[in-house]
Order: sequence, then structure tokens, then C-alpha cells
Amino acid sequence: MTYILGIESSCDDTSAAVLADTTMLSNVTASQEVHRKYGGVVPELASRAHQQNIVPVIHEALQVAGIPKEELHAVAFTRGPGLLGSLLVGTSFAKAFALGLDLPLIEADHMKAHILAHFIQLPAENKKVPQFPFLCLTVSGGHTQIVLVRDYFEMEIVGQTIDDAAGETFDKAAKIMSLPYPGGPVIDKLAAAGDPDRFPFPHPQAKGFDYSFSGLKTSFLYFLRDSLKNNPHFIDENKEDLSASLQKTIISILMHKLTLAAEHYGINQIAVAGGVSANTGLRRAMQQAQADKGWETFIPPFSFTTDNAAMIAVSGYFKYLQKDFTTHSAAPYTRGGIG
Amino acid sequence: MQQVIAHSVDDLDRIAGLLLAAHPQAKVFAFYGEMGAGKTTFIRTLCARMGVTDNVTSPTFAIINEYHGRRDGAVFHFDFYRINKLQEAREVGAESYFDSGEYCFIEWPELVAELLPDETAKVHIARGEDDQTRVFTF
Repeated sequence: MTYILGIESSCDDTSAAVLADTTMLSNVTASQEVHRKYGGVVPELASRAHQQNIVPVIHEALQVAGIPKEELHAVAFTRGPGLLGSLLVGTSFAKAFALGLDLPLIEADHMKAHILAHFIQLPAENKKVPQFPFLCLTVSGGHTQIVLVRDYFEMEIVGQTIDDAAGETFDKAAKIMSLPYPGGPVIDKLAAAGDPDRFPFPHPQAKGFDYSFSGLKTSFLYFLRDSLKNNPHFIDENKEDLSASLQKTIISILMHKLTLAAEHYGINQIAVAGGVSANTGLRRAMQQAQADKGWETFIPPFSFTTDNAAMIAVSGYFKYLQKDFTTHSAAPYTRGGIG
Repeated sequence: MQQVIAHSVDDLDRIAGLLLAAHPQAKVFAFYGEMGAGKTTFIRTLCARMGVTDNVTSPTFAIINEYHGRRDGAVFHFDFYRINKLQEAREVGAESYFDSGEYCFIEWPELVAELLPDETAKVHIARGEDDQTRVFTF
């Protein structure tokens, strides 16, 4: 049994996890409520909060797992991409911890880790995992990409957003409607009671398997501006239908390119990763595609779709098997990742 | 001051050229315009013209994006949309970036007005006579 400690601090959540091979023994996350009132993540607040959270979070992860730190085989950390100040806290801590215990240090890429989260098993679980090669649609507040996954670390982005991320479109549309942050879950909830066919919104075009959402945001904004001229209560009176129609449009844009990519590569193993995979509309569309298109679809449990350290630890495990270790001079990177 | 009208995205490359010609010394550019005005879209065109090879996307989530591909330096792309107080922008290190001598393209500069260097080139993007048209003033 190989015990890996994973540390994730790329954005606003400080998380630590311990895995025995691919089985999760603990996954502890301290979320930063402080950002809610700012309507988004504020980098400097995030890095300060990471400094306060990191020691207790790691302590708890080890305790819940029941693994003394001396029994760990390696420490894996998120090297990037993410917010620089946040990444520095996790990177520095991981290095010091590895040095102190004379453990190998393993770097993980946040975007690849989101995909590798599909391989995490819960104790006493023997869940089916995607077979290589598979396609993964990663959708979150900062990312929208289709990744062709040939092996654990052989990944290629075959399509991505050329402007706004899908999650950002949800958040900005929510802000336009004066809904609370984070906008995605609020829109998802309102959409359940709305008519998705009431308002047609355009599907912005992008080449190949790329996405574009900026034009949708703008036409949503202009549509509301024009509607408010005739009826100042338009948003209040229609927020369910607006949410349902917008959500349907975003999901249909996501599924369209994913379907094209699946057909092009002749792949029927299709996975979803990232925070937006919690969206009910997207989950329903994936189930529908499983029935209609003969896909085998994989949606991880919600706790593995948002930022978490279990996915960093599982990435660390696969690298540990290949003895792919990192030197202590590794500095965080803020952009890029899979490429 | 000049005013240029874009009737479609195809006009942006020409306007990017005019902007750079109008401010040959400027490194810090501030882009004013409401949500949906096309700030990110224009900055993408500008970056492409300058030789940036990285994917230029909205920095709303990350606040700062860094792009490479130019032979003589990086381009920093800022979005202060989510900043509420000037202090937050200071803490991100905004001033060090603005003084770095590298190109800085700034969305939502209104929120960091006090931090902008005096020589900042200001670009206003407004909707024109219809939803497809944009008026650039710089």
C-alpha cells in the first residue's frame, strides 16, 4: 500500500487528502466564506486564508486517515495553474514538509488532476473508471475545455473556450440579473421551475471543438436591457424562465462540441470534470447522451468536482509509480497546464 | 483623440494598429466599456497583432493573465471587475506590474483609477448605433 498526502491550494479552498493507492482515506477542505461578500475570489485574501488553514487542514487529513506522517510515501502538491499567492502557500508547505520528513516531492497539475479525479475510489468501493482513450469535458468558473486523455499523463486539449468560461457565463448572467454569488448554483435552482424554451438565445460559433461564450453573455445583457425598457419588473417576473433558457443554451453549446469531438475521435467513453459538472442540466444531458448516443459517461461525485486534494493525491500516486519526482526548485505556474 | 468605428470584429485588427500607432511609447493601456462592450475581444486582437501566441481569454476569474510569444517581453492582461477596494488591487501587486515596463492591458480600470500611471493610454469602447457596432475613442 502506498500512502500519498495531497495538498491543493490553487484558488480559494485549502485542501489536504490522504490516499492509500487510489483509495481515499481522507479529504479535508477549508472553504473561504470570506469571498462571498466580494462576489468572487479575491487573490490576496485567499493567500492569507491559506496560510491560516494549511496546518490544521493537513493535521486533520492525517488524523482522519489514521496514517501517522512518518508512514507517508510521498507528498503531492498543486504546482499550477491557479492564483500565484495561493499556489505559493501550498508549494512552500509541501516542500518544507517533504524536506522535514525526507519524502519524495511530487508536483501535480490542477487541470490534469481534475480529470484524474475519476480514478479515486472510496473505501470498499470498486467503481468503474473510464477506459483510455477517453474524452473529458472540464467545465468550471475559469475553464472550459475538451481533453483527449490517452493515458494518465498523456493528455491533449482538443477544444477550449476562446473567451469566457462556461462557469463565468453563469456567474456573469447571475450578476446581470442581480442574483447572489456564486451564480451557477442559483441559476440551476431557478431553472428547475422555469421554461427552457421560453427565450431563445444565440449559440456563438467557434472553430473546431473550441467554445465561445462571450457573445451569449452580451446578447443576454442586451435582451434584458431591451426587455426592461418595456417592463421594469421583467427580470423579477421571469427569472425562472430566463435561468432555464440560459442554462439550456449553455448546456446545448457544451454538448454540441463534445458530441462533435466524440464522433471525430470515435470515442464513446466520455467524462465530465470541474465545478459546473454539478449542474443538473449538464448531468441530465449526459444521461440523455448515454441513452441516445451509446456513450458510457462518467460524472464524479460532487466533492471531487470542485477543488480538492484527493485528486492531487491520486495524481501523485500515478507519478509515484513512475518515480516521477520534483526537485525543490519547482516554482508555481499560474497559466497553462495541459498542453 | 481619435474616434474609430468598428462595424464588425473584422475591423478590430485595423483599429488595434491605429491604437498602437497613436501611442507608440505607451506600455499601460486602460480599456473602458460596459460589460459586453468587447474589451476582451479587442485585447485578443491587440495581443495577436503583437505576436502573442498564448490563448487570450477573460481574466475575470484569475484577475491577471500573463501571455508570452512576443520576442521582447510578456503581456499582462488584467480584469478588476471583481475588485471592490483599491487596497485589493494593491495587494495583487498591480502597481509593480504597471511599473514593470511590460505591456499591461487593463479591463475595468475605473476600479484602480488611482493606481494608473500618468502616461496610461486610455481607450473607450462604446456601443454604436446598433448592437454590432462599436465606437473606439483613444
